[in-house]
Amino acid sequence: MSGRGAVYDRGYRPYDGPRGGRVAAVLALYKASVRRAIGLRRSWRQKFLPLGLLAVVSIPAAVNVGIGYATRNSPLEGFSFFTYREYVGVSSALLLFVAVCAPDVVCPDRRQRVLPVIFARPLTGTDYVLAKLAAIATLVFAFSILPQVLLFVGQTLVSKDGSLHYISDHADIIWKVPVAVAALAAYYAALSLAVSSLTARRVVAGASVFGLMIVSSVVAHILRESGSLAGRGQLFNILALPLLVRDLVFDGHIHESSPMSGVAGAGAMALAAYAAVLATSVAVLLWRYRWAER
Amino acid sequence: MTALDGLTVDVPRGLVGLVGANGAGKTTLFRLLLGLARPTEGSVDVCGRSVAADPVGSRARLGYMPEHDCLPLDQSAADVVATLGELSGLPARAARQRASEVLDLVGLDEARFRPVGGFSTGMRQRVKLAQSLVADPELALLDEPTAGLDPTGREEMLVLVGRLASFGISVLLATHLLDDVARVCDHVVMLDAGRLVVAGPTETLLHQTGKLTVEVNAGVGRLARVLAERGLTVVNDEDLDADGEGGSVDVVVGPDPGPVLDTIRDVLADLGLPLHRLSSRAASLDEAFVADRGAAGTGWR
Repeated sequence: MSGRGAVYDRGYRPYDGPRGGRVAAVLALYKASVRRAIGLRRSWRQKFLPLGLLAVVSIPAAVNVGIGYATRNSPLEGFSFFTYREYVGVSSALLLFVAVCAPDVVCPDRRQRVLPVIFARPLTGTDYVLAKLAAIATLVFAFSILPQVLLFVGQTLVSKDGSLHYISDHADIIWKVPVAVAALAAYYAALSLAVSSLTARRVVAGASVFGLMIVSSVVAHILRESGSLAGRGQLFNILALPLLVRDLVFDGHIHESSPMSGVAGAGAMALAAYAAVLATSVAVLLWRYRWAER
Repeated sequence: MTALDGLTVDVPRGLVGLVGANGAGKTTLFRLLLGLARPTEGSVDVCGRSVAADPVGSRARLGYMPEHDCLPLDQSAADVVATLGELSGLPARAARQRASEVLDLVGLDEARFRPVGGFSTGMRQRVKLAQSLVADPELALLDEPTAGLDPTGREEMLVLVGRLASFGISVLLATHLLDDVARVCDHVVMLDAGRLVVAGPTETLLHQTGKLTVEVNAGVGRLARVLAERGLTVVNDEDLDADGEGGSVDVVVGPDPGPVLDTIRDVLADLGLPLHRLSSRAASLDEAFVADRGAAGTGWR
């Protein structure tokens, strides 16, 4: 054997400790996928992009808090670039984060043919999909919620009327932001993983995720502008569907700034379209890993 | 396509060779044992458990080393093996400890913190073996573990595989290299085109097709004829009709060569032929394979 090392006779110790079942296997795959996506136990190059993007999305929050602090005693007091609702949204950084992380946790398994040794373990295709979905959803959730936490804590600390006053004024934010962010995270995780599962190449998967989002928003814009579907054209905007759900969480109706605002039954239609995309994505994932299913 | 057809075989504990040419059905049999494919008819039991009843549970005590590359190239060997150990149900700390131990066992103690992508073929084969052993399986399914190895690497891998039984790990070794099986396996299962050719202890298969060579200075044709008349299986390629000439006759012997030797002695005495040489030769497994394929009517393709 080249690159050799001698085979030492150090004996063999059988393992008689505890063994977990499927739940333990899913949890292990979840942890390994999270580690992989953010580059832990990998070279700094693998860490740079996800952590760099997290820093980028946190900048607006930091700037907002900074301005709040600087203007706390001026007539501008209370000035804010954006609302919490607007900050639960789609940024280029979030899209890039999803397009980088999702392919990274599924494509190499297929390309480097690791799937046979994974499925020789006590887990099924559904377990694999569950672990990968949970991993990416967790990361998107963290990616989206950390800047919000920074914004909320910062605003609380620099509030002229005192922290307690600020918190009681914004108590609804404490549940609305996590719920909206969770809806966003589940959606982008499922969609990006479903697209990534269709190819073994990370670059192709990343470009496809990005391309699908951009193309669908352009198609939705054309449909809207052509007048044939009016506001309902927005339902074809795969990129923005979770933002309609976000509006429902924050305001109970589609926000006035959305092209769908004022359309009869807009909320129900948005929810149905959101659920349809989510369900289709999960179905694609289960289908792609069905060969190990029993 | 029927990958395996009418296969009924009982495989004992220990080191068992699964032999067959490419496409014989070895990998399909592994997929059935792992519960990743279902037989259209019949059932599969592994380590006393029905695979159909609990495919996930039956996988928990199996190790699998595929023939092809199956390792994440950008992770260290220690991380790969530990992660796969956790996927087998080991707690994280135990998985890292076990990964360390099995990588030591396969001779990769110093290299285990380097990315697998920089490993040679031999080192990758060792990591593949280590990941199959990390959860201390009852049965390890090893698919062509010596593929792509140089002679030294092959030798080391076979020594390693040969030791597994002493650790309490049974092995099913799929290979098309009969020499590998003859070296390390106590038992052989031979497949051809999805059908069972023969199964049994390696020793018995070798004996079953052993040969005795009887060499005489004259009358070899007569000798061959009379030996055949007395019920012995004579196998000689050349024409033995030339009655007056000397030459040799090969006679097939089973596990107990006594009666055959007695018959040869009697025939030589009856014909009054001068015996020049009598030698025995154990057949190789290749010969056993060829003979049994011939008997099964499959022939060489």
